[in-house]
Amino acid sequence: MRPSRFNNTILFVVLFFLIAPFTIVFMTAFSDDNSLIFPPQAYSFRWITSVLQTEVFASSLVTSLWLGIGATIIALLLGVPAAYALQRYRLPETEWIRTALTSPLIIPGLVIGVALLRQFVLIRDGSVNLALLLGHSALVLPYAVRVVGASLANLPRDIEDAAFSLGATRMQIFWRVVLPNVRGGVAAATVLAFINSFNHVPVSLFLTGPGITTLPIRMLLHMESSYDPSIAALSMLVILFSIFFVLLTERLLGLSRYV
Amino acid sequence: MNISANRSRAWWLLLPAVTFLVICFLYPVGTFLLESFKVGQGVGLGNYSTFLSDEINLEVYWRTVRIALLVTLLSAAVSYPAALAIMRLGGQYRGLLTGLIILPLMISPVARSFAWLVVLGREGLLNKTLVGSGVLSESIPILYTESAVFIGLLQLMLPLMLLSLTSALENLPKDVQAAAKSLGANEWQTFWRVILPLTRDGLAIGGTLVFTGCITAYVTPALLGGPRVTMLATLLYQKASVTVDEAATTVISVVMLLTTLLVNAILRSRSSRTT
Repeated sequence: MRPSRFNNTILFVVLFFLIAPFTIVFMTAFSDDNSLIFPPQAYSFRWITSVLQTEVFASSLVTSLWLGIGATIIALLLGVPAAYALQRYRLPETEWIRTALTSPLIIPGLVIGVALLRQFVLIRDGSVNLALLLGHSALVLPYAVRVVGASLANLPRDIEDAAFSLGATRMQIFWRVVLPNVRGGVAAATVLAFINSFNHVPVSLFLTGPGITTLPIRMLLHMESSYDPSIAALSMLVILFSIFFVLLTERLLGLSRYV
Repeated sequence: MNISANRSRAWWLLLPAVTFLVICFLYPVGTFLLESFKVGQGVGLGNYSTFLSDEINLEVYWRTVRIALLVTLLSAAVSYPAALAIMRLGGQYRGLLTGLIILPLMISPVARSFAWLVVLGREGLLNKTLVGSGVLSESIPILYTESAVFIGLLQLMLPLMLLSLTSALENLPKDVQAAAKSLGANEWQTFWRVILPLTRDGLAIGGTLVFTGCITAYVTPALLGGPRVTMLATLLYQKASVTVDEAATTVISVVMLLTTLLVNAILRSRSSRTT
């Protein structure tokens, strides 16, 4: 077999391995069976409608949406100025700060979750909801710092100097010159931060309880107790939501340049 | 603009993020990890010796490292040919394929592991196909074995390696392969002696991401490994919430972190030094 033929075959197998499982989820979502059988014996919309009408799923979806939005806003508010400072000013401590700001990526999520539960909720009597929000914010902060930083690195410094020499203040330069030029990076950071928070399990695992449960945790709990196609229906809806979100930003800005 | 004015301006921009990170992340995680060294009223390694003297814990540790290493190696082995194939494609198809590779990364690990439950179960698609086609005489257990965790993690992590290698290959000058060929190297030699050394950085980055991801993943081992195939992450969860063993929880956290840091350091030192 010629090497290029061999490479193409491997590529095909890899893509099949990556994508095929999702078609299984989609087919099972339209199952009419009472338990999980593949391929389904008959097809219908009943599990999809049943999932949409289930109160616990709806309430945990709302929790996940708010959590994702809140964590993304906090991460951007903190991360964009930090990324700008790291990119524009050469401090002796730059590398240390960069490592610290992206460290949530290398600390296991379970460790973050259990540490926040112990130190924040159990010892200091803080609220679980707040700990969950702060944990997710820390988790997605690295995306804001790194993606916006990469975008700033491509922005020539001269245009800021030009604005400065034309009499613009620091604030005006940031809002009217820098930010409009890195809006693609900011948007990509927003998508990555939100999607990662929305899908994340380990940090939330210890920080959810009877009052507040995120959608992925709710799905895990449901899978432990019952073996029916409702998780397939829910998975399909979550997958479609992610695809829609990603395609929208890819269309508008070309997300793939930032991942 | 003098340097000290720049310094203070930079610090004002950094201060919110750094303060947040210290209070909400570094301090709680740091003090939590330090508790692993607390023995009674003093300080010592007692918790570690207790943890390491239990054979089950060691078994879980080696299983986790073994699966993570295997996933890293196999993902590198298949990502090189796949990435080289992508490089041969025209711009439009390359963009489409990159999109298809990124897509799974944006999808909930819960949904991704769920798909494997349907495929790998006793009555699942794979068993049905193998029995139906006569390869097996009766269905075999795949789900809740190490193989299931391995397959699930491979599918979860493969895109990270693929993306690291495609971007490394993109930065490789186009004529390098042609030059090797004109000097008489065959494809195999070109790969081992030209492409591999020149994309070592991408391999190191991909390896770090995949290995770290495998060590820290919780959902995949929990759903596909079941109670019998415990990994460090699922053991941590059990110790923290089922048995409420605080000493073991902190020790496992430190062990997980040290393992990922060690492998990251090794891979980083093996990268760009000699190229």
